[in-house]
Amino acid sequence: MRAGLTRAAALAAVLTVVGLLPWLSGKDPALSLLRAKSAEQEPTPEALAAIRADLGLDAGPLGLLGRWAAGLLRGDLGASWVSGTEVLPSVAAGLQVSLALMGAALVVALLVATALVVPVLIRGRGTSGAFAAMLTSVPEFLFSTVLLILAGVGLGWLPTSGWAGPAHVVLPALALGLPAGGLLGRLVAEALPPVLDERWAHLWRGAGVSHPRVALGALRRVAPPLAGQFGMVAVGLSGGAVAVETIFAIPGLGRTTLGAVKSQDVPLLQGSVLALLALGLLAGAVASVLRRRLLGPALREAGLTLPAPRPLKVPAAIPVALGVVLAGLIGCGLLRDPYTIDTAARLAAPSGAHPLGADALGRDVLARLGHGAAATVGTAAVVCLLGYVIALALGFLPNLATGLADIANALPPVLVGVLVAAVLGAGAGGAALAVALVSWPSLTAHAAALVEEIRASRFLLAQKAIGASPAWILTRHVLPSVAVPVARHAVLRLPGIALALAALGFLGLGAQPPSPEWGLLLDEAADYVERAPVAALAPAVALALLAALTVTLSAYTGPRRAGHVRLRKKTSSGAL
Amino acid sequence: MLTGCFAAGDSAATRSGDSRLRVAMMQPPRSGLSPLTDDAFKLSRWSTAETLVRLDQDGDAAPALATGWKQSGKTWTFTLREGVTFHDGTGLTAQSVVTSLTAAASASPKPRILDGVELSAEAVDPRTVTVTTATVDHLVPQRLSSPQLSILAAKAYAGRTVNPVGAGTGPFELVKVNGTASATLERYEGYWGGKAKAAGIDVKFVPDGTARAAALRSGEADIVEAVPVSQAGLLDEKLITEVPMPRTNTLYLNTASGPFKDAGLRAAARQAIDAGKIVQSVYEGRADVAQGLLGPALPWAAKLRQGVARTPAAEPGGAEITIGTYTDRAELPEVAQILQQQLQAVGFKVKLDVREYANIEADALAGRFDAFILSRATVLDSGDAAAYLFSDFASKGSFNISRLADAGVDQALTAASETAVGEGRRKAVIDAEAAALATDAAVPMLHERVIQGDAQGVSGVAHDPRERELVTIDTYVK
Repeated sequence: MRAGLTRAAALAAVLTVVGLLPWLSGKDPALSLLRAKSAEQEPTPEALAAIRADLGLDAGPLGLLGRWAAGLLRGDLGASWVSGTEVLPSVAAGLQVSLALMGAALVVALLVATALVVPVLIRGRGTSGAFAAMLTSVPEFLFSTVLLILAGVGLGWLPTSGWAGPAHVVLPALALGLPAGGLLGRLVAEALPPVLDERWAHLWRGAGVSHPRVALGALRRVAPPLAGQFGMVAVGLSGGAVAVETIFAIPGLGRTTLGAVKSQDVPLLQGSVLALLALGLLAGAVASVLRRRLLGPALREAGLTLPAPRPLKVPAAIPVALGVVLAGLIGCGLLRDPYTIDTAARLAAPSGAHPLGADALGRDVLARLGHGAAATVGTAAVVCLLGYVIALALGFLPNLATGLADIANALPPVLVGVLVAAVLGAGAGGAALAVALVSWPSLTAHAAALVEEIRASRFLLAQKAIGASPAWILTRHVLPSVAVPVARHAVLRLPGIALALAALGFLGLGAQPPSPEWGLLLDEAADYVERAPVAALAPAVALALLAALTVTLSAYTGPRRAGHVRLRKKTSSGAL
Repeated sequence: MLTGCFAAGDSAATRSGDSRLRVAMMQPPRSGLSPLTDDAFKLSRWSTAETLVRLDQDGDAAPALATGWKQSGKTWTFTLREGVTFHDGTGLTAQSVVTSLTAAASASPKPRILDGVELSAEAVDPRTVTVTTATVDHLVPQRLSSPQLSILAAKAYAGRTVNPVGAGTGPFELVKVNGTASATLERYEGYWGGKAKAAGIDVKFVPDGTARAAALRSGEADIVEAVPVSQAGLLDEKLITEVPMPRTNTLYLNTASGPFKDAGLRAAARQAIDAGKIVQSVYEGRADVAQGLLGPALPWAAKLRQGVARTPAAEPGGAEITIGTYTDRAELPEVAQILQQQLQAVGFKVKLDVREYANIEADALAGRFDAFILSRATVLDSGDAAAYLFSDFASKGSFNISRLADAGVDQALTAASETAVGEGRRKAVIDAEAAALATDAAVPMLHERVIQGDAQGVSGVAHDPRERELVTIDTYVK
């Protein structure tokens, strides 16, 4: 009940803020609407006044909001300010397309995730996660462009754009599903090894239970805290698919929302956001039911046991090799000049003078990579840390946190960026704040799910029974069990954060040219993928190396005191 | 099951032996193809909606749905063409013209072609319409050539928004619009001007430049609008056509505040800029270095242009400036970075602020930047350049980013606006251009070209600098 109220309140708050957008941004909605209808028209006072009168903008923000709310109760979402057409049909059409795309992308993601998880199940040991991290770090727009060029133009197998049949779904679903699958697969693969090493698994194997059944049991054991993540990724695939929708010309809800934000078309924006939030809440509810079904009565009866957190076994050679390559790349770059424009070297191929080629303005790509590393990694790490801290803090209030997280996760990052830009104005810090605001939900949901299970664990009951203080329990037992998996999860999202920071550049948030920030490099090079592939893909490769490095390093986090692990191990028993 | 989720784009071609044209366009419709917005230009590019008047190559008025017109003071009388029918079968009458023009004149906002113009239309008899303006207006026929003043059947105006489906008079009938995804047109057999060579048009809206060029390369489209410079090099040169656009990339300098209040520094900036380098690199030679504010899309401008009186340049001495520009035109951020380097070379300290146009326009108009790079359309629908010069450089201009207030410029601009259409007006426009350039309030850098891709076997496609025509009655694909 309380959780329901939180969700309703958060929903109302978001819709109110969205309804106030033009007044928060201080940007005249009449001008935005004029631009949407007629890009080159002079914004004469006469034209602007006509728009205001026509839409009844003089009623003020609260009057409009009241009118909208009254309409909502009647099932009327109003009419778009730009096109004058009903909002409901356009949102419904966009939602239908987005759901179809999401479904297809989810299939791809599940296949990729399976491919990443199966080796762990077969070998019974963890993997380094380097490959999954690299997959996760590839920007969707880059995947899209490369797929479009290779499969659409090069091989001619699939249509390059449009939305007119099943063939049109394949490329966008791949572009969305590959990184998402990398993330989900890694989360599962990372949770599995401790579970496979639990006593019940050894017992089952000893009793002759078949290998696949043990594997299924292990999957079932790690599924509950991750069920919410699958839901969130699915929701992110619908509202957050703007880049892919734009490249493949798909008329989905992400593009509808983006268009509405840009033209400050409040009724259409409210309708789209309502649909996205409803989707987010629905996915959250389904995930929650699923989780409870998986955990069964043990959750209520405090009969759970959490797998012991411990370092994953990753051969040191992997992070060392990655670190050396990355450091070498950045080090060489730092010795070169990243800013001098040489128009004669436009898109030059790799050579002695430009080992990684030159960008569209003839600047040395290696130099730009080197000089941009610190800013890129630094900002992303700060944002990531902020999201992590929020997640740990809110994670201890699972009832409150999951509802808020479901809603915040469903908001398209670009909308949050627009709101931040509206309140703070353009500036470098705004992007970090906006991305922090959208990066905490998944981590928080993960933390909240873990906290809930630990609190219901038989082990804690025993601790309480022997008189352990709440503080002792929290710092010695609950926090480590939550902090380590969530930290590894946070690290996995680091490259995504670096990209999200750059994606808000169009709002005047974040780095500005000629800064060599990596996200900006990727963005600038996106148009030249085919003509200067090395220069265009180098920042993506650097980001992938970084992702692989951080994830393999994160395997070394976790409690190392043997005594602790042994203690926890003794208490582990089959929760199944 | 899945099919319900898709836009039904691939409609069965009519079996008439003639092939259909597949067109990939850039901007998806924003307002359900209402002609009162920018969507109007799509209707004219597909030859589905028509206007009373059209513009010929020189920008002069030529007959379309009206066969003749004459001016008498504030009133213009138009004679309508005989035998014109709308796609819904109803006939074109004076009343339909009145309905369409009245809807446009009373829209909020009014179409841009009617900015500052009070216009009313009246039916005199079934074949004659009078159009009256509040003040004497020499440009009425040119204005009526704007696709935003297309004449549609009465049924288009029945709802809350103007719906052009099945309501035009052109050689192609718009039969279906799938939101922002696609549109379908069929040949209209009852067209007054004959029979279109193509059986129909299947339009796809592809906002991404790479994807648009890819559609041409993969054979998914016969005609592709606006191929970006970055992709043009990947296409067979035989398949692309560059058309000079009436569009000038201009660096506007803030004459009201900051370092560029000093005319000497403005002159220094002008001298520092090497537009040729920008054209060669960023535009890969697919643009023209600007000689003035009006480019090669207005061929008469270069012939009339004479020298401009220039202020001598001063020493920048480390003056700090911020240049604003936007990402909507992919080349502009690159242009800005080259400008930054060129200006720094002569002693300015330059910062850049690059956002999307919607997020930067208000700041630019409020004078928050010392300099602003804008890709500016120099002739809007009427084919007349005086309106652009007035709005950008008159002290009362509504788009005066330079914040210029110069009595001499104002005088020249007023003279240009008041001169009757013809050679005299052109001369006055060039005089006004020279007056504006003499202040160095704006440095014209280059004139863009629009790159259009036509697949092999496509012929009869229009290459229109005004971006009003594309598929015509003569367009077909082998």
